[in-house]
Amino acid sequence: MKKIRLLLVDDEKDFLTAYSRRFIRRNAEVTIASSGPEALDRIGETDFDVVILDVMMPEMNGIETLRRIKAAAPDLPVIILTGHADHKTLIQGMDMGAFDFLLKPVGTDELFFKVMDAVKSRSRTRS
Amino acid sequence: MKTAIKTFFNFIHRQQDRDAETRGTFLAKSENFRLLLAANNKALETMAEMQEATRSGSVLGIAHVRAQSLKVAAGVRQMIERLCRMAPGKYEELRGVFNDIVQSMDQTLNAQAARPTGPLILYMADIRAGSMPETGSKMALLGEVRSALGVNVPDGFAVTASAFHLFMERTRLADEINRLIQIHGCRDLEELRALEESIRRAIDLAPLPPELETAMRTACERMGDPLLAVRSSALGEDSERASYAGQFLSKLGVRPRRLPDAYRAVLASLYSATAMTYTLNRGLREDEMVMPVGCMEMVRAAAGGVAYTRFPMGNNGRRIVINAVPGLPCAVVDGSSQADSWVIDRKTMEVLDREIAEKSVRYVLRSDGSVGKEKVYGEACMAPAISETDALRLARTAARIEEHFKHPQDIEWALSRDGRITILQCRPLAVCRFPVSPPPDNDADRPFTLLSGCIPASPGAASGYVFKVGTDDDMLRFPDGAVLLARNARPQLSALLPRASALVTEYGSAAGHLANVSREFGIPALIGAPGAMERLSGVSIVTVNGSTGTIYLGHRQQQIHDAAERNEPRKPTNVTQALESVLTFISPLNLTDPESPDFRPDRCRTLHDIARFCHEKGVAEMFAGGRRPEGSARRLKAGRTMQYWLVDIGGGTSGSDDDKTISLEDVRSNVMQALWKGMTAVQWEGPPPVCVKGFISVLTSAAQNPALSPGAANAMGERSYFIVGRNYCNLQSRFGFHFCTIEGFAGDDPNENYALFQFQGGGADMLRRNARARLVADILELHGFIVEVRDDALFARLEGVSRQAAEQAMAMLGYLLMHTRQIDMVMADPEAILRYRKRFETDIETLMAEMGHEPGTARCAS
Repeated sequence: MKKIRLLLVDDEKDFLTAYSRRFIRRNAEVTIASSGPEALDRIGETDFDVVILDVMMPEMNGIETLRRIKAAAPDLPVIILTGHADHKTLIQGMDMGAFDFLLKPVGTDELFFKVMDAVKSRSRTRS
Repeated sequence: MKTAIKTFFNFIHRQQDRDAETRGTFLAKSENFRLLLAANNKALETMAEMQEATRSGSVLGIAHVRAQSLKVAAGVRQMIERLCRMAPGKYEELRGVFNDIVQSMDQTLNAQAARPTGPLILYMADIRAGSMPETGSKMALLGEVRSALGVNVPDGFAVTASAFHLFMERTRLADEINRLIQIHGCRDLEELRALEESIRRAIDLAPLPPELETAMRTACERMGDPLLAVRSSALGEDSERASYAGQFLSKLGVRPRRLPDAYRAVLASLYSATAMTYTLNRGLREDEMVMPVGCMEMVRAAAGGVAYTRFPMGNNGRRIVINAVPGLPCAVVDGSSQADSWVIDRKTMEVLDREIAEKSVRYVLRSDGSVGKEKVYGEACMAPAISETDALRLARTAARIEEHFKHPQDIEWALSRDGRITILQCRPLAVCRFPVSPPPDNDADRPFTLLSGCIPASPGAASGYVFKVGTDDDMLRFPDGAVLLARNARPQLSALLPRASALVTEYGSAAGHLANVSREFGIPALIGAPGAMERLSGVSIVTVNGSTGTIYLGHRQQQIHDAAERNEPRKPTNVTQALESVLTFISPLNLTDPESPDFRPDRCRTLHDIARFCHEKGVAEMFAGGRRPEGSARRLKAGRTMQYWLVDIGGGTSGSDDDKTISLEDVRSNVMQALWKGMTAVQWEGPPPVCVKGFISVLTSAAQNPALSPGAANAMGERSYFIVGRNYCNLQSRFGFHFCTIEGFAGDDPNENYALFQFQGGGADMLRRNARARLVADILELHGFIVEVRDDALFARLEGVSRQAAEQAMAMLGYLLMHTRQIDMVMADPEAILRYRKRFETDIETLMAEMGHEPGTARCAS
């Protein structure tokens, strides 16, 4: 199987380690970034299939990061995954074209299905 | 729903108009449709959980309510996005409607009182009862008795609610704490301990705002930098509605330069596992908890204790009770030692009763400022902690305080070596309405008495297995519904009370923290039951009567029955109120009739309305509309005609499109052929012999759930639809109570290949349906599927496998579809489950072998 190229963006180290380990076990190719600017750099270098993006990050918040990702790679699906149950972020994120909005904690299976949905939806929409 | 089905049929049966969509567009549309349905399921499921919580009262806290409402909102928004993609430009208006509803939800959940913006520090001399919103009740009441009655209280100051908000907002701790509460579970003590740890770490790392630190330093200097007692004075603490008795931290003997650390520690105790248990169980909003902190000069007490201006267990309105221990009064409040007690008549000021306990330890303030526990030796053990004269002075002061507040009081006091009485705390005393009665003479249960004459601390009676709690590990192992037995009435035990049936401790007082919390939770409690640890060890079930002070062997129904009428009904809590008001924007369904002119976006008033609208229109866009995929529905014929219909979206069949039927030989789709093979390879023997219980469970479910009624099933005509392409097949089927989607793609590029199985429903009760879903999940996981089971729903996917493996997987799904659909009825019987599982595995192996491959070789994606 062609590996899913996944970019995980979160400032929480524990989260990054735990999830990248789980996704690698699922045969995904995981790149991690612990800030918005770093995520943008990675996106400039690699052609990802999907991004999982945290919202509350120092430096540049998730919404601003999402705005710039969408400017650079409009059809790259971005899944927002946040620990802040905040209605504004939901609306802003979805208005900016996030693929979906999930709340932590989320089961690995549920998140992985969402990742596959996002990848599949993108390839279907492209064809 | 009806209309949706109608359009579905119109689509299937309309023969004219061959204006075809391309295969790609169709696939994209069906993918969006699938995601729309999935989001719909999820949103409705979460909605149902929220409604269930209002019925059962099992709410987990405001963070949970907020997260759940946002999950519903995210699901509904996803539906809107999918619908807009299915039909660009037609439904964009929904987004605005959605945003408005979500904004109203947000306002409902955040309806908080305006933040105070007062001074960061208030000095004791300036504090009155009216300062409560800034200082919390502990400091406000002390300030009040000092100024109004001239009673001696420690010198000190309050770090205010304004200071708390400044700290929380400036450092973004408020956000961070909400986040931590959301991402940690709050279901059991272990999760709460982990949460406590994370929050404490976050608070420790947050720097105090400089102006707050300066204000603290100035205040200490003004007092001459004494040793401080730093105590919680949380808003709402000690109120009649919620005592929070003993839940929060006090730091004693704090040097002024250590004040910021002590302040953080007291703040963190707002989120300790014990306090969170209390908060969640009382239905208080954890995001509205505010902790002003009292900083007071330490009193070097020769003796100290607690005074109750009424007998806490009701009765005897004329009695004042004074409890006293040598040294600092902590030993009384935390239940770690027996205390002397005087009972004094409030009118005549006559000593009615006097009991000198054997005191084994006392707390002292050491010269280095630390608080230490000392053993008490020899004669001192039995010496009264205070003189009778002091007891009478205390009684008089206590009576004056009660008179001032016009409510029974629970007063903590200290006596210094020079004989001065200092009031450390006073708060309203919760007095039980129900009098304590001795066991009636004709007590039929008397032969079963294990212990009697224990101190009743909370009325009522309950039975349960005895569980001894000594260590922290014991706390984690504590089983639901057990009788909590412990040596000392430690306030930490209150974290277990919501799960205990009754409480028994050897030491402590009926007016201590733990007793208080038992009364608030309505759990029968005996505190001061000497010998209980020994007498109850090795005994399994006991009945504890908290009204009469008696413990019986076994389950004594009469005791429980007699005590039962005394329970007060629970009042609605802050969290349930918030949940109910946010639900008014979520769950009511106003759009009931899709044919009505009101069935349009701007008439959607709730998230449920939007979900309903999207679902209905999604179905319409999928199966109606002018442009449709090539080919139309033909009925499948294999020897005889069947209730299966087939739609070819391109390359899936050969032969003429004009026929109304199609035979299996004309199906070119390899995926459908594989699926069909699985469906028919092993003859289905019909539903299992129905056991009466399983059958009744089917009938009950059908009666309760209108969607499962036979009428609804017939509306679908029991027909199933194959949508096929050359390497593609999607089966939407409905058998009676079961809904199922099987979809797969099997071509030459493994990256494109997948098999997908969604299965939900059944006629039996949820327990059996869930057992069936798990059985199917186990089998699929063996073959490399990633599977998720929630209630009776199963979602399984296999991706990125070879063409052969994908075909095999489809065959297996076909087999499982046919053979597991009605076995839910027998799923309460573990032997039947095992038997079916074995049969399925054997059949599947045979099937795989017949397809010419090694059994079980579908390679896993992981």
